[in-house]
Amino acid sequence: MTHVVVITLTTTFLLLALDRAGELGRKQYVYVPPAPKVEAPPVDPEKGKPPPHNDTVDDLPDGKGREITFYTCTACHGVALIKAQGLTRDLWDSTFDLMLEKHRMPPVKAEDRAEILTYLAEQFPPRRKGRGNDNPFLK
Amino acid sequence: MPRTGTIKASRRNVLKGVGMATVGASLPPVGAALAQGAPAAAKGPKLLEMDGKAKLAILGDKPLVAETQAELLDDDVTPTAKLFIRNNGQVPDVTGDPKAWKIKIDGEVNTPLEISVGELASRFPNVTYNLMLECGGNGRSFFSPEARGNQWTNGGAGCPQWTGVRLADVLKAAGVKPSATYTGHYGADPTLAGETDKPTISRGVPMAKAMEEHTLIAFKLNGQDIPLIHGAPVRLVVPGWPASVSTKWLKRIWVRDKEHDGPGMGGFSYRVPKTPIVPGSKGNEKDMAILESMPVRSVITFPADGTKLAAGTRKLDLRGHAWAGDYDIKTVDISTDYGVTWKTAKVNPPANKFAWQRFTASIDLPTSGYYEVWAKATDSKGVTQPFTAANWNPQGYGANPINRIRVLVES
Repeated sequence: MTHVVVITLTTTFLLLALDRAGELGRKQYVYVPPAPKVEAPPVDPEKGKPPPHNDTVDDLPDGKGREITFYTCTACHGVALIKAQGLTRDLWDSTFDLMLEKHRMPPVKAEDRAEILTYLAEQFPPRRKGRGNDNPFLK
Repeated sequence: MPRTGTIKASRRNVLKGVGMATVGASLPPVGAALAQGAPAAAKGPKLLEMDGKAKLAILGDKPLVAETQAELLDDDVTPTAKLFIRNNGQVPDVTGDPKAWKIKIDGEVNTPLEISVGELASRFPNVTYNLMLECGGNGRSFFSPEARGNQWTNGGAGCPQWTGVRLADVLKAAGVKPSATYTGHYGADPTLAGETDKPTISRGVPMAKAMEEHTLIAFKLNGQDIPLIHGAPVRLVVPGWPASVSTKWLKRIWVRDKEHDGPGMGGFSYRVPKTPIVPGSKGNEKDMAILESMPVRSVITFPADGTKLAAGTRKLDLRGHAWAGDYDIKTVDISTDYGVTWKTAKVNPPANKFAWQRFTASIDLPTSGYYEVWAKATDSKGVTQPFTAANWNPQGYGANPINRIRVLVES
């Protein structure tokens, strides 16, 4: 008798527990084919970057010091930036300091610096004609 | 919201042969001899070929720097394709998940923040404004003798629509300490030498400008995700000040207890002389002061410089934009006789503070022949544009001479 009661109660609780857990109401398993692997679209890290760009030594005007100027300057920036300038030797000299101090250009030997400066000052002097090119206070 | 509606060209103007459109890019300033210019200028600038971008005039290709020709600045709201490009270093790689990109706010704040772009957009009110972005060196090519740097005409500027959150809201969330004086901005762009552990450039602004309600951390440009070249996924927009403070690819804002001292803050960078120096001289760093608000400027955007007008044309309806850093435009005046007489243009109000303003004028061309059309804007403080680029400085900031175009009425 006791056994019947225990078994009945146990069964009842078990069924209640399973029902609460949702195990009894579970629908029939339906075969779901595995979703096709969606390849994450590869992110091209270069997308949206500026077009590639290559200068050669010939992009600078011929002259003594052209090669060393090219390789020293274009390690970082393009030739177009050099060619757009028109500076006195003094200002080319301070441009060199700007590159060393602000833009962390690697140190350059004194004789190389002199050769580059001579090239830049000869090839790219001030050339804008106008009211500012003959200033009486400019030595 | 942007103003829409294009101002139509007058039917009385029969334009022909706008084939000299690129001439404007090399137009010398008022006061300089006309027969100037290097041989390269005569050919016109090299034009940009890049997906999503118009054929802007390339000033430098490594790093890429390109300006918008005056006649391409005609839209009320600058389309993304026509926005100028200025890089100081290399362009960083595209990020895989833009919303996961994090920025850090630290320094003189009670609670340093590290916040993703996704959180930023959902946590703080989103605002949309038309805001001027202008390179600090805009107008540099007008200096004589040459000043060092990229030789901008007037095209290092644009006024697109930006969406983002106010920098002020983010700084307030971090709790700005009373010791906070200045911001220091850091982006993810590698240096030209390829280093990623050192800033390419790091500039900042006084707290008052950082807290100004139009200073944004922006994540949308003209309603779309910001393209990589313009700072994806998130950048600062500090309108009216040199755009070097509007850091692209924003990673960190360091709130400082003193004026920021990152690369680009010292020396002759983004500085103008406190007292005028001899043009072409080396100058002295001690005599320089930081350029904050950009100077007043006007640009005629229609017609293009070098336009031929059909014989018999007697009226020209021109238009352009004017802006003045932190200030509004009070008047724009037009002259067709080299500044002897001036006529007042109609000036529209800005779409919002820090947006440029449209000016229009109908001018008489009493005879056939050659005309220079000059435009001169005056800001709300009464400060106007000089006849020639003034206050020369070695790195060429603040050149804003009177704008001019050349037209020919055929006979």
